Amino acid sequence: MFFNSIDFAIFLPIVFLLYWFATNYNLKLQNFLIVIASYIFYGWWDWRFLSLIIFSTIIDFSIGKKLLNEENQKYRMVLLWTSIIINLGFLGFFKYYNFFVDNFITAFKFFGNNINVNTLNIILPVGISFYTFQTLSYSIDVYKRKLEPTKDIIAFAAFVSFFPQLVAGPIERATNLLPQFQKKREFDYTNAVDGLKQMLWGFFKKIVIADNAAQIANEIFNNSADYSGSTLIVGAIFFTFQIYGDFSGYSDIAIGTSRLFGFNLKQNFAFPYFSRDIAEFWRRWHISLSTWFRDYLYIPLGGSKGGTAMKIRNTFIIFIVSGFWHGANWTFIVWGALNALYFLPLMLTNNNRKNTDIIAQGKLFASITDIFKVLITFGLTVFAWIFFRAENMGHAMDIITEIFSSSVLSIPSFIGKQLATMTFLLIVFFMIIEWIGREQQYAIAIIGSKWKRTYRWIWYSLIIFLIGFYMQSTETAFIYFQF
Amino acid sequence: MTDIKRLTLNIAIFLPFAIIIYFAMVIIAAHFPESFMKQNLKYIPGPMGDMFYRTNEARITKDVDILFLGSSHAYRGFDTRIFKIKGYKTFNLGSSSQTPLQTNVLLNRYLEQLNPKLVIFEVSPLIMNSDGIESTLDLIKNDKNDIYTFTNLIDFSNASTFNTAIYGFYMDLFKNYKPITDSIRLSNDLYISGGFVQRDMSYYKAEIIDKQAININPIQIDMLDKIIERLKKKDIKLILLQTPITKSLYNSYTDIYKFDSIMNSKAEYYNFNKIVDLNDSIHFYDSDHMNQNGVEVFDKEIMKLLMVNGLN
Repeated sequence: MFFNSIDFAIFLPIVFLLYWFATNYNLKLQNFLIVIASYIFYGWWDWRFLSLIIFSTIIDFSIGKKLLNEENQKYRMVLLWTSIIINLGFLGFFKYYNFFVDNFITAFKFFGNNINVNTLNIILPVGISFYTFQTLSYSIDVYKRKLEPTKDIIAFAAFVSFFPQLVAGPIERATNLLPQFQKKREFDYTNAVDGLKQMLWGFFKKIVIADNAAQIANEIFNNSADYSGSTLIVGAIFFTFQIYGDFSGYSDIAIGTSRLFGFNLKQNFAFPYFSRDIAEFWRRWHISLSTWFRDYLYIPLGGSKGGTAMKIRNTFIIFIVSGFWHGANWTFIVWGALNALYFLPLMLTNNNRKNTDIIAQGKLFASITDIFKVLITFGLTVFAWIFFRAENMGHAMDIITEIFSSSVLSIPSFIGKQLATMTFLLIVFFMIIEWIGREQQYAIAIIGSKWKRTYRWIWYSLIIFLIGFYMQSTETAFIYFQF
Repeated sequence: MTDIKRLTLNIAIFLPFAIIIYFAMVIIAAHFPESFMKQNLKYIPGPMGDMFYRTNEARITKDVDILFLGSSHAYRGFDTRIFKIKGYKTFNLGSSSQTPLQTNVLLNRYLEQLNPKLVIFEVSPLIMNSDGIESTLDLIKNDKNDIYTFTNLIDFSNASTFNTAIYGFYMDLFKNYKPITDSIRLSNDLYISGGFVQRDMSYYKAEIIDKQAININPIQIDMLDKIIERLKKKDIKLILLQTPITKSLYNSYTDIYKFDSIMNSKAEYYNFNKIVDLNDSIHFYDSDHMNQNGVEVFDKEIMKLLMVNGLN
């Protein structure tokens, strides 16, 4: 079920009303309702893959319980690796099997050997990368004794399948989310209203910004051979806003929806396009994934301790794995590696934690230096997104070759210029609001909060109008569903 | 009051408030100077189309012998004057790209008073594959909007039709409805009282049209079934037919037999491309519309069909 569908518009109020009115605030009933609702939400796409979630739930719940009483370190390690192998095994099979087979065939061909291995026609289960990492965090934290394993399978099943963030995150840590399923939840008016506002802004980002920007980005990327370097840059810029609107919009809707049910999820995006360097960008982009890799991969590998060679190795590992997490394609690996290259100079010169504050905090405008830094960082990000969006490496290299040709000096020309102009104006409005709200959890958190109710409601109605007036005619899937 | 009741109450008050602001914003946005800033408002400014005059007439017409329905093939194919000479009282309620979804809306509005003995419903592969949005937008602008506009919108769940309908309801306040008794000139067309539109004489220049398979939108078929059922219940005779199109277009369809077979299974059906032999460059002005030469030949054949059906 998509958030931006009529189905969800009917589903959410029903679940909300049942949750608060039909359960009599009974924790077990509320959790049970969340499990059922989450399975319906997921099964709406393809009920067969519910079995994967249920299997993963049972395995990690059982392993967690065994880890509680097991003192033998070797056996504890076996239990942890069982969880890791099963979870990553599913992920590897569904997401990476064909990639590895294809590459083995290519590699053997390169050395003059033809091998005959068939790829499989595999459907990638929606959200598998997200819920796999969420359950893994549980097993690892229980193994490290950072978290007491739960004895309540319903609460655990609700934690694994919690519908707002099941298919595209944020990837919640068991230490943050699971305890929320184990304590009584009270309805909080302010929190719920805040959730609704965040959902509204999320819908605006997805429906108005991402879906319109996608029309132009798709036209240019899908017909890249017909376009000049300057036009390809325009396409990359629109894709830059598409992916931000799409993914951060999803996160806002997910976090806002969770608030309606009394849950607080972690912030997943913190205005990344106002970053002054790449290190800051990565502290602000897909925070739940970046911190997951930091805590469960980068730090266990030694982090930034040790010699320069180790720092470089660890940086490349975390960025490349992060890229590969997005998809079984060399383009994602190169995208990750390129970001590592951007990041390395900052780390090696100890400048990677230079910009930990909010840009122009407490001020209306940023300094010229900060604006320059933001533009440079934005430019680097746009360039990296080319790999992310391209169909394959050949496609990415063709685009980059054209960008670095003399055609970059021509005036951009493409089908859909009027739509591009409209979308550009909407992006300008969007970025102004994002700038105003950059010190908050989401852009419109405090805009209008001190206004009279009538004016505040007119402001929210205006956003609803923009959504209805500028939406595309057909509902479109979120990009991160494919990851 | 508990927090949750407070939220529910505030949402209940906010929703109508937001709807009012939304409607007001659509009306304001309709005046944006640049059309590309009106992505989901397809209310084409300018004079009313032929459908405006047709529905004006339909509103004051009663008890006809034959009601013609369908797309531009219908309102450009069935010349009500020719039928009048032979003594038939007819009305042509065709409209641009009319699909069964809009036919149903028009029947809701006008069937009772038009009270036809026979309905001739033009169907074509192109129309049966259409989503019907173009035709809905035409109706919103050129007919008086009512509850059936809403039911038609629900069929689509489309932002363009929804926003255009809001503006359409508003613009209805300014429409000048007056009975049509004569012909009206509309650019290259002449609107004839009774719903027919005659194109100024011109001739089709042959062109090569790529082969195309026929796809049928299941929503349109479902609605066609409902219309057939509805007419059956009212004991109104129905004829489905395909009007002549140029051979170059007709031959581009790779599986027209499938279409014929489906329509044959629904009701009495005639494919006039197999019945009348028209010449592409004499009887048509474009690939799928007859000029007045073609219309006269075609309508004479229809008259023969009426005699066979005992409507003489």
